[in-house]
Amino acid sequence: MRYDAAYWLQKIHALELPLHVRIMNVCGGHERSITMAGLRGVLPRNIDLIPGPGCPVCVCPEEDIYQAIQLSLSEKIILVAFGDMLRVPVNVPKNEPRSLDAARAAGADIRPVASPTEAVQIAHNNPNVPVVFFAAGFETTTAPVAAMLAAGIPQNLSVLLSGRLTWPAVAMLLEAGKPGFDALIAPGHVATIMGADEWNFVPAQHGLPAAVAGFTPQSLLAAIYSVLRQLLTDRPFLDNCYPELVRPAGNSSARRQLAQVMTVTDANWRGVGVIPASGFGIQPALAVHDARLRFPAYNDPSRKRAGEMPPGCDCARVVLGKIYPDQCRLYGKACTPRAPVGPCMVSDEGACRIWWASGIREAKVA
Amino acid sequence: MTDTYITLAHGNGGRYMRELIEDVFARHLGNPLLDVNVDAARLPWNAHELMFTTDGFTVQPLEFPGGDIGSLAVNGTVNDLAVSGATPRYLSLNAFIEEGLPLAQLDRIVASLARAAKEAGVVVAAGDTKVLRRGEGGGLYLATAGIGVRMPDLELGMQCIRAGDTILVSGPVGDHGTAVMLAREQFGLKGDLASDCASVLPLTQALSDLPGLRFMRDPTRGGLATVVHEICRASGLRADLQQSDIPVRDQVMSVCEMLGYDPYYLACEGRVVAVVAPDDATAALAIWHALPNGKNAALIGQLQSGRAQVVLHTPLGGTRILDELEDDPLPRIC
Repeated sequence: MRYDAAYWLQKIHALELPLHVRIMNVCGGHERSITMAGLRGVLPRNIDLIPGPGCPVCVCPEEDIYQAIQLSLSEKIILVAFGDMLRVPVNVPKNEPRSLDAARAAGADIRPVASPTEAVQIAHNNPNVPVVFFAAGFETTTAPVAAMLAAGIPQNLSVLLSGRLTWPAVAMLLEAGKPGFDALIAPGHVATIMGADEWNFVPAQHGLPAAVAGFTPQSLLAAIYSVLRQLLTDRPFLDNCYPELVRPAGNSSARRQLAQVMTVTDANWRGVGVIPASGFGIQPALAVHDARLRFPAYNDPSRKRAGEMPPGCDCARVVLGKIYPDQCRLYGKACTPRAPVGPCMVSDEGACRIWWASGIREAKVA
Repeated sequence: MTDTYITLAHGNGGRYMRELIEDVFARHLGNPLLDVNVDAARLPWNAHELMFTTDGFTVQPLEFPGGDIGSLAVNGTVNDLAVSGATPRYLSLNAFIEEGLPLAQLDRIVASLARAAKEAGVVVAAGDTKVLRRGEGGGLYLATAGIGVRMPDLELGMQCIRAGDTILVSGPVGDHGTAVMLAREQFGLKGDLASDCASVLPLTQALSDLPGLRFMRDPTRGGLATVVHEICRASGLRADLQQSDIPVRDQVMSVCEMLGYDPYYLACEGRVVAVVAPDDATAALAIWHALPNGKNAALIGQLQSGRAQVVLHTPLGGTRILDELEDDPLPRIC
């Protein structure tokens, strides 16, 4: 990066901005960097930085978590999951385990992992026990799962896949009219895997400025400057402010592996609903490793309606960028990281959790 | 306490651990000598004071770049005495050894413990060994208690802190937590970062003659942010920290960026946070800069009257609040 953050900040302040500009980000890492660097406090007041659908844990459908919990409690299996899934609550009566953590306390063998390699290791070490890998995540997390499947995995390992594509959620917001933002900061990690070109539809089809950003304050400020310039000159295009890692077509081997072992399906997003072509499934050729097929009794489609966000919880509106975290009635009161009500307060990628971690303690709502 | 079960978060140095100590241990064991908010207790003894402290060690892995559970068990206790203004003298040692631990590894660890004790000038004067059945311990747990003699007339403690005082740190923060995590190789990350595990006695003794020295603490679990938070909580003052002045190694920063950790909450095992009157801040810094473990010491902030919270000023002029640690980024680092 040739210019530092102060340079971009000064350039932004020199712009003659409209009264109100709303810029959405769709990556928990971006929201974390923005919040931790205090960018909202140093940008001109008329710029709103809105955290959007950037948290895979937050949108993981309740029925999938419920399924993982029931599987782990009823079958003699080892369930492995990424650590931040363990505390996400589901909607069940008070005396039932409401998270994987609670299921573990009730005796289920649930082990947090940080990578697919660990899941494979656990399966190797326990050859006589079925191991189910509950893999929820966006393209960045699903790609390593695809690589794992492509490389071949132990016979006793299966995957309960809850992978999601990010761009269809943004497309849905844009196609619904009134998207609630004037420009988009496209996700740096997702673009590293899938390519910057995936985000071309934002300027090309919807006429909105867009820029891929990295995770340093200077890269984010460069992207913010870029979209503001695009807005002011009325020439929207897709800028790449993270050229160190992001190529137009992404990481070709990761994409090849995704295509090889996965399908793209319509998928339910918690609190949002079904978004067309927004989920990953496992190719039929690998059916023996698909936990949904291996344990079909735990697939409960009727939960899709029951599985909205918990009552009073505004996570869905936070995820869609309709409100800020501290505008939720529960924020900091009934809902804290210690006793989370909604998933946005659980995950490190969740906007509520990030805002809480940065010291924002009081809800703004009346 | 609102919790039903002990979770790992009750050991992280943050909010949960404070509640556990206050609501269970202090409630049952409270007595005039036991102050749960200090590093070592003052025991009246002739004209002087003895300082007494104890600590337990469960780090995984047992050996890591820059140290092991043995050197940690010495330095952890030595440092609690040192930051209380004492010269550590005697240690006791309890070893809880799990069946199956290779004897060669135990030998290495105890040799390292002996080296650390020699360097810190302490004698292990009492000890006990227990062997646990396989599966009942993480290879080896150690506990040490330590006795030190407090330099006469030294008035140190949170109660001495005044508005306007400065906050200093003796070196880069977060090395220990990051080094232990890298040693676990859990995230597929590797690095050559070493723990800062060391006795801080040279650092604390060097400042002890400074009239403006108010308070010292070693930022272990919960890291720098937790210590400064405790300072604010006890003094009722607001702390303003300048992010660009806080030393953090590049490797620690990049690991934190990758995993979403905050380096200011990661543990150190060889650093000191000192609160010093403004007139003595430059002198304190010069004293530390002249010591091998104080070369990167820095003045990182100041205490003011205001709402008792830790405000971090980012290089761009933004701010964020460093609050009490919620759940554990890295369990079992000490």
